[in-house]
Amino acid sequence: MLRVAVVLFPGTNSEDETQRALVAAGLHAEIVHWSRGSAAMRAFDAYVLPGGFAYEDRVRAGAVAAHDEVMDAVIEGAQAGKFVIGICNGAQILLEAGLVPGTGPLRRPTAAFAPNASGKFQSVHVHVRLAVSPTRIPVLAGLAADAVLPAWASHGEGRLAAPDAELDAMEHNGHVAFVYCNARGERVAAPSGSARGVAGLTNVAGNVLAIMPHPERDAWTFMHRDGDAEKAAARGNAQAMLAPSGGMKFFHAFAAGLAARRVLR
Amino acid sequence: MSEVIERAYVVTLTIPDNEAFTALTTLARIGLPVETAVRSDVWIATVEAEHAAALDRTITTIETVYNPNKHRLEVREDAHPRSGEVWITAHDESPAITIAGRTVDGVRGIVRRTSWRLLDQNGADVPANVLDRATESFLCNPAFQKALK
Repeated sequence: MLRVAVVLFPGTNSEDETQRALVAAGLHAEIVHWSRGSAAMRAFDAYVLPGGFAYEDRVRAGAVAAHDEVMDAVIEGAQAGKFVIGICNGAQILLEAGLVPGTGPLRRPTAAFAPNASGKFQSVHVHVRLAVSPTRIPVLAGLAADAVLPAWASHGEGRLAAPDAELDAMEHNGHVAFVYCNARGERVAAPSGSARGVAGLTNVAGNVLAIMPHPERDAWTFMHRDGDAEKAAARGNAQAMLAPSGGMKFFHAFAAGLAARRVLR
Repeated sequence: MSEVIERAYVVTLTIPDNEAFTALTTLARIGLPVETAVRSDVWIATVEAEHAAALDRTITTIETVYNPNKHRLEVREDAHPRSGEVWITAHDESPAITIAGRTVDGVRGIVRRTSWRLLDQNGADVPANVLDRATESFLCNPAFQKALK
């Protein structure tokens, strides 16, 4: 069975729910502490960098973790075609590591998830829509075209920032993997003020994904926001409350992508 | 019309600075010959000249900016990095009109930057090319930040 490492840095805080979602999608997922080093990390087939505040966001969100020794293994793996997903702080780390959009030198970021336009930490329920063909992004190959996923945007630094020419190139070359939308899939402004409404980016090969909102935080019905009709209808019904919801599609798609890659190899 | 001047308040921890130590560890991993990293908050105020002295006094009373038990405060009458310093700020830096939630008479705007000084084993500033490499490879993300020297 393929082994997925949920990479834990000091300050990571979403490893448990991320691991649960991966396991629920049928994957073998282990939480792996950064202190185990890159040698241990190399034994894994794929990596998920969960959310949190790695190294307390010291210097800049994701900046210290991007230079951590354990990231050597993640970078090498990504370059060798292994799948890598970064969620929220994990996404910030991938941009700081230069893996996404991956058009510049390693660890010399060409884009950033910068402080929100509001200047404040925000936690809001959102929807994101797949903005590229599923074939463009093997890491989520199991996702349907134009898939709309629910998630929680919960961050202080989620505003994609880059020079206009870089943003143009990212759009033109299919690096914009997810955009913010409403439940019907219509584009809406990003709560963070993210440039071009971007919620997630991929690299050239499509095996690395950086996504700011948390799909693992809306993976079961009880995780919907209060007032949600589906959640209200499920009240008093444990089975309905614990039913997988839209966020699980993300992890099932990751599992399907991994399975497809194994078949190819 | 009042003359408007700039004042820089450079606030540096006198107790161990964990963030600076973490940065130092990363700089060592990058391979840069740095022995000490000194990080400071730089508050730059644009203020009407007749209110500058009052602002100097007010700053010392806002403990979230300056706490004499753990900070050293240097007041500068210009807002430019000294030799050996690099100041990091956002491209879209926008001045606030309050400091720590307080309005101060005569203050037109306040911005906050981060200053870094890197020292060698003798306590001297590292060569400029080392500071440049540290800035380009770690201290500044040019996608949304700029480095002022």
